[in-house]
Amino acid sequence: MLVFDQVDYHYRRGVPVLRQLSFTIRQGEFTSIIGGNGSGKSTLAKLMNGLLQPREGQVKLGQLNTLNPEDLRGIRERAGLVFQNPEDQFITTSVHDEVVFGLENLRVPGEQIADRVNEALRAVHMEEYAEAMPHQLSGGQKQRVALAAVIAMKPAILIVDEATSMLDPQGRQSILDVLHSLHRQGMTIIHITHHMEEILSSGRVLLLSRGEIVFDGTPSALFGNVSLAEHSLALPFAVRLHQALGLRAPLCADWKETITGLWSMS
Amino acid sequence: MVYELKDVGVRINGKDILQSVSCTLQKGRWISVIGQAGAGKSTFAQVITGLTPFCTGEYTHNGQSLPGDRRGKRTAVPQAGYVFQFPEQQIFETTVYKELAFALKVKGAAPDKLDEAVKSVMGQLGLPESLLQQNPLQLSGGLKRLVAIASVLIAEPELLILDEPTAGLDPLSRIALLKKLQAWQREKRRTVLFISHQIEDVAEYSDEVMIFTQGRLLAHLEVNELFLRQSKLLEQAGLPLPEPVQLLRWMEAASGRSLEPASCREEDILRLVRPVWQSRGLHHGG
Repeated sequence: MLVFDQVDYHYRRGVPVLRQLSFTIRQGEFTSIIGGNGSGKSTLAKLMNGLLQPREGQVKLGQLNTLNPEDLRGIRERAGLVFQNPEDQFITTSVHDEVVFGLENLRVPGEQIADRVNEALRAVHMEEYAEAMPHQLSGGQKQRVALAAVIAMKPAILIVDEATSMLDPQGRQSILDVLHSLHRQGMTIIHITHHMEEILSSGRVLLLSRGEIVFDGTPSALFGNVSLAEHSLALPFAVRLHQALGLRAPLCADWKETITGLWSMS
Repeated sequence: MVYELKDVGVRINGKDILQSVSCTLQKGRWISVIGQAGAGKSTFAQVITGLTPFCTGEYTHNGQSLPGDRRGKRTAVPQAGYVFQFPEQQIFETTVYKELAFALKVKGAAPDKLDEAVKSVMGQLGLPESLLQQNPLQLSGGLKRLVAIASVLIAEPELLILDEPTAGLDPLSRIALLKKLQAWQREKRRTVLFISHQIEDVAEYSDEVMIFTQGRLLAHLEVNELFLRQSKLLEQAGLPLPEPVQLLRWMEAASGRSLEPASCREEDILRLVRPVWQSRGLHHGG
C-alpha cells in the first residue's frame, strides 16, 4: 500500500509544486495519473519511489517511509520507476547487461540473475534482442528494455512516467499490453500519461491540477463530471463519439464493441 | 519556392537508410510525413534541411542544384528551418531572449529590429514576455518546446520542418500549438513538413501526406485521397487508420451504404455518421 499523507513539495521556496496531497494506492490497483503540463505529475512520480522527499507530510510504502534514509533502498526495490525517455536510464552496451545491472545493484544472488533477466525480457517480448545495443533499438524497443530492467527487480509497484509519449502507435500499444499483462499478474501499476484514450481501461484515475488532486475516481465518472478543458486535457475519441451519437451504453475503451452491440440490437 | 528530390538515397555504415526518394515540396502546403519508427522519416527531413548528406540522386531548390552533397559534405539549404524532436538538441543560449534573437543576430539585424522580432514571435506562440530573461533549459517541457519553435520561426523560414513537435505536450497545449502553427503557415503561405506519430493530427491539419516504409517513399498524396480512398496504403506501411476514419468504415460496413464525407476530419465524419446512426432509432441509447 502506497500512502501520501498531506504531502507538500517545492523546488524553489515560495513556488509550491504539490500541495497537501493525500491518497492511498492499494496493492493490485491500475491507476492512471493525468494532468496538464506543469501540474506536478513527474514530481509526484519521483516522490513515490524516494527520488525526492516531501518538504511537508510523508510518503509511506507499507511500513517504509521515504523520509528515513535507511528505508530508501527497500522503497526503491519495491517501487520501480520508468521514465519518459528510456535513454535517461541506459548505462550499459547491451540489452542483457542493462537488465543485469539493476539486479547486481540489488545484490541478487548470481545464480538467480540469468533466470530473472530471461523472464523480464520475455515479459516485454525482447528476448531475441539480449545482445543488441540499447541505443540502436527503435523507440518502442528501447522503452521495453527500460521496462524489463525495472520489472526484473520484481517491484510490487511499477510507476510509468509518460513512457509512451515518444512512441509510434505500435510502440505505445506494446507498452500498454505489457502494463496490463503485469497488472493481471498482480503488480500494482501507476501510469502517468497525456494520452486520454490510455486511461479508459484503468480502474482508477487521479487528476492533478496545479499541484492538487482535483478528481479521484473511475474514467466514466471523470468524463461525466469534470470539465477537462479547464485542466488542459481533452476527451478521448471514444467519449467524443459517445456524446456525438448520444449513446447511453456504458463507456468502454473499445468503442467498436459498444456500437456493434447497439447496432445489432436495433 | 519549391524543393525537389530526384532518386535521392542515403547510406550510412553500409546500410540504406533512404532509397530512391523522389518528391516535390510545393509552397504553402502542410505536408505530413508518417511511417513506423525507423522508416526513414527523420533522415528524409534532415536531407531536406541539409543536416544529412545524400549519396545518390539530385536535390534542387527553385531549380538550383544543391552542390557538394555527393562527397558527403553538408550543404546549408536556403530558407529551411528545422525544429528538432527534443528541444535540448537545439537550445544553447543562457536566456530566452538570446536564444530567440540568435538567428537574426548572425544575419546582422539591428538591436531595435531584434527586440521587435522577438516580441512578435513570442506573441504569435503565446509566450509571456516574463520569460525573456529566464534560462530556456530550466523551463518546463512544454515551454522549452515553444521556445525552440519560436527560435526557428523568428527567421521566417520558407520551409519549416517540425519533427514530432507535440510529443510530451498535454492535449490542449498540443491542439493550441498546432492551430498556431497552421495559422502562421497559412497567413505567410509557408511550407510545413510535419513529422508525427499522431495519425489523428495528420488527418486534421495536413494538405498532403508522405508515407515512408523501410526507407522508401511509399506514397505522397492529398490528405483526403489517402485517408478516404487509399487507406490500404496505411495498412501496408503498418500504420493505423485515424479513429474517425475507422468509424466511417465501420458505419459503411454496418449500413451497407457508401459514405462520402467532405473531408477526413473528425467533424465532417461525425456530421455524416450521426444521421445514419439515428435513422436506426439508435440515438439516446437505442
